[in-house]
Order: sequence, then structure tokens, then C-alpha cells
Amino acid sequence: MVTKIPSGECMDATLRTRFLELDLATPLVLPAGVLGTSFSSLLACARCGAGLVTTKSATLTERTGHPGPVVVETPAGLLNAVGISNPGIAEVLREVAVYRRHTAVPVAVSVFADSPADFAELARRVSDSPADLLELNLSCPNVSGEFGAPLAGSPDTVAAIVAAVKHAARLPLIAKLSPNVTDIAAVGRAAEQAGADALCAINTLGPGMVIDTELGLPVLSNGSGGLSGAAIRPVAVRAVHQLAQSVGIPIIGVGGVCNAVDAAEMLIAGARLVGVGTALWSGGIELFGDIGRNLLAYLNRRCYPDPAAVPRLEPSHA
Amino acid sequence: MPERITLPIADIAEESPDVRTLSFTHPLAAEPGQFVMISDLKGDEKPFSLSDCGGGSFSITLRRVGPFTRRLFDARRGDLFSIRGAYGSSFFVHSGRVLLVGGGCAVPPLFFLCRRLLAAGAEPTVVNGARSADALLFERRFQALPLHQLTALEDAPEPLTAVDAALRLLQNNRFDALYAAGPEMMLASLISNCGALDYQLLIERYMKCGIGICGSCTLDPLGIRACVEGPVLPRATVEQLTEFGVYRRNSSGARVPVNARRSCEQ
Repeated sequence: MVTKIPSGECMDATLRTRFLELDLATPLVLPAGVLGTSFSSLLACARCGAGLVTTKSATLTERTGHPGPVVVETPAGLLNAVGISNPGIAEVLREVAVYRRHTAVPVAVSVFADSPADFAELARRVSDSPADLLELNLSCPNVSGEFGAPLAGSPDTVAAIVAAVKHAARLPLIAKLSPNVTDIAAVGRAAEQAGADALCAINTLGPGMVIDTELGLPVLSNGSGGLSGAAIRPVAVRAVHQLAQSVGIPIIGVGGVCNAVDAAEMLIAGARLVGVGTALWSGGIELFGDIGRNLLAYLNRRCYPDPAAVPRLEPSHA
Repeated sequence: MPERITLPIADIAEESPDVRTLSFTHPLAAEPGQFVMISDLKGDEKPFSLSDCGGGSFSITLRRVGPFTRRLFDARRGDLFSIRGAYGSSFFVHSGRVLLVGGGCAVPPLFFLCRRLLAAGAEPTVVNGARSADALLFERRFQALPLHQLTALEDAPEPLTAVDAALRLLQNNRFDALYAAGPEMMLASLISNCGALDYQLLIERYMKCGIGICGSCTLDPLGIRACVEGPVLPRATVEQLTEFGVYRRNSSGARVPVNARRSCEQ
């Protein structure tokens, strides 16, 4: 149950949130994989009210990703398999440097590799850049044909990668986890024990498939893809709650957040920060501002001084 | 939100040795300048501007360039395609004297625009530019409309570029607005010489999702998306773009110089 606080009208709430030594203007995050290709789209999200922006996942070398269709609309979300297209870590960090010249809003660089050694090399490169945080994409469901099952499926694999990166990185480390596991808490604990400074949950659900009934073929060129959007929010809320009971490090709650009520739900589940991704599809990047304003109104209405003061759901609800 | 639909090709028209128009029977809600994402679900999907739309059907006009456009080019009546859209911004339709300047396979979307301009009472003049006579597109379609058409061929005995033809017209006539579509260097040259005239451009960027979520087609330094805030951009927006006529991003997101690629190379 949510702790009962007398409901009154307060006026002095703030959206300011501390996260890994950073002072964020809002708890809202642009998660990896959405829009974050260019400095200008990261910047647009920051200017609209994201407190932290994340690049699309970078690999050591350039990747064109999967051919189209890379996305298909579903009744309450999107199914996507972009395939980690990115211009390679050097170009990504060049975009981050340009971004940094325009704003002080913190930026996390998401990286993807298929071995602890390559993850460590990426971590070294990001540590030498103006980025504030490093996020490990351990959970992409869309490249298993190429790289095998997502790394976040195994606590041991996650621990090995996080440990290797921790050794190489001089930046705080976020492990992005997959919901497509039997016990996400075990994976989260493994990441924490190996040195992760924060968790991000969840990546897309599934993978799922949409078949065109006229052509008799999957719509996505990859066949399957990860599900995002409003449909997956209950899964994300449960995962965040479960992780919050299991680890002491902060959590970025991501998955189907479309409005301030959804964001508040994530905070109550145990998230420190809240990602807004797929909702930008219909809401536009202005959604960061809208959610921020309405979340502030919620904090004032409930007399919570800031997002971190929102009472968390107590244990044993998962 | 537009839905994805699967439609058979209703009609095919030869426009030039390597350009065809594919028509589909469906009451698509679309405005001039908008595009659809088309796929055969056999390993690719690309955006195509509408070359016409209305009366229960719509069409796209494509040039045979790579493996995917070759499959579209070689498709037969009745072949099925997955189509989603229409997406993106559209041309604002003026009602005065307007000049339309098109180059190569970016000319067809201007035909759809002309229909709407004429319906709004505008007086359009069209500069139809191409490299050679056999690459000229939609000449007869424009002739069938009550407008003035001027063809500009780069390999004619008296070579004339679409930009030069347009600038001559602008020198000797008064127009209320300019619409242009074509290779980016052509557009850049045109707008740097068109004075204070209000213009709208149909621009091209590498698109993947078409719905504003993947970030492939964002434009620097505004961070706007060619698939949502574009592909039609007004002068006030174009003037703020630092990448227009300079660079664009490829399928990985890496910057490449604009002049490395001509128009319509899907």
C-alpha cells in the first residue's frame, strides 16, 4: 500500500532529482533507442524537459541495422527491430561532444557489444568523452540471429560484463536489463554485486511477431521484434518494483510511460528516474514538458517535496 | 493514426525507361508532399512521396535504383504490397501565382500539389527539370492541366537547368510563392537565389520508421524529424538548418556529404 499522507495543496515541490552524483532538472529520461542518433535530437529532448538523455546504443564499428520494415504499429504499442544501427562509437562520441557544447543536461551513452572485452573497450572510449554516464545494453532482443540470446538472460554473463566494464570505466555504470527472464531480481542483484551503479529496466518485451495475412509473411524484416509502449507498462512496473526490493542502487524505470500518472506509478514502484520513449511517437518530444508539468502538479497535490520523496510501494507486493 | 494496409497494384504506368508509376485503389487520406512507406515484406521498406491521390486511389512514382526499387519496378498488376501512411508534413496550398520547380524523379509529387493548387484557384507555373528528354517525367500529365509548364533539359542543344529556368522566370514575373522538389544541391542553389520569395521545399533524408521515433532522419541543429515535421519544410525552418545542402545521415546515422548522392536513390 502507498503510505497515506494527508492530501493538501502544496506549492513548493520541485522536479529536481539527484542521480549518481548528478543534479537533474527533472526525473524524466530519454531512453536508449529512441531518437538519440544525432546531437540535435538529444538536444531537442533536453530542451523539452528531459533531465537525462541517452544515445542510441553504440558499437565499436558502424552498423546499418536491419532493413525495413523495422517497426510495426500494434494496438497498444510498437513492435520494433531496428538492429542497433549506429555510426560507431567514434561518431557517436563526436555527436555527444557537440551536444555537450550546447547544454549541461547530462547525457548517458548506451553501448552494445558481444563480449566483455569489447564492452570494456567501449567503456574506455566513453570514459574519455564528455558523457556523464555509461549504459550497458545487455538486453536487445533483436540481434539474437547475429549475437545469440540477449546477455541479460544470465546473471553470470551480466556479472562478467559489468565487472569487466567496471574495471575499465571511469564513469558511473547503468546496466539495462531485459524483462524476458525468469527472475529479473537475480539479474539485477548480479549486476549490483559486480559493480553496477544503477539499473535501467525494462528493455522491450518479447520478442513478438506480427504477420501480414495477405502476404503470409512477418511484417518486420527481422521476423520478430521487441514490444514497447503502453501495452508493456504493467510488466515494467512489476519489474521495477521487484528490482527495488532486491537491490540498493537506483533504478531508471522504463516501459510504456505515457503521462504523469504513469510516471508517478513508476516512482511508487521504486524508480528514481522515469523513461519516456515510445510515447514520443504520438505525443512528440513536447511530452517531456507536459509530463513534467503534470508530475509537478501531482507532487504539489500530494505534498511530496520532490520525486524522490514519493513513498515507495512496500515489499512483498510482487 | 494511419494504419498499415496491404494492397494489390491496380495500375502501372511507364514514365521513362527507369521510372514507373504504381497506382493503388484505396481512399487514402493524404495531402501533397506526404509519403507512404512501402514494403514487399521481403527485406526492405522505403518512403515514397505520393505523385497523386484522390477519387479513391493513390499513386507513387519510383525510379529503378537498387534491389528493392527494382522489385517494385518489376512488380505486376495484382502484386501485393504492405503500405503505411500517409506520413509527414504537406505543402501549404496558396491561391495566388505560384512557381513550382522540380528536378528528376522529385517532380511527380509536384503533380499532386498542382491538382490541389488548381482546386484552390492558384495559377501555377511548373519548371519541369531533367537531365535528358527521355528522363523527363510527367510532361504530358502537366500538359493536361490548366497551367504553364516549362521544361528544362540539361543535355539539350541549349542546355538549361531547372534552377536557371526558375531564376529567369522569377526575374521577369511576380510570384506569391515558390514550391520546389529535387536533388538537394539543386534546391540549395535555388533558394540562395530566390530573394525574399516565400518558399516550401520537399526534402529527402534517410528514413527508417517513418513515424518519428527512430531518429534516423533528424535535421541539425533543430532536432526536427524529416518524417514528421518534414518532408515539406517552410522557408523559416530551412533557413535554420545547418546541414541542408551540406551533409545528411546514412542508414547507420553517420554523416555523409550531400553531394555524394542524387535525388530519389532509394
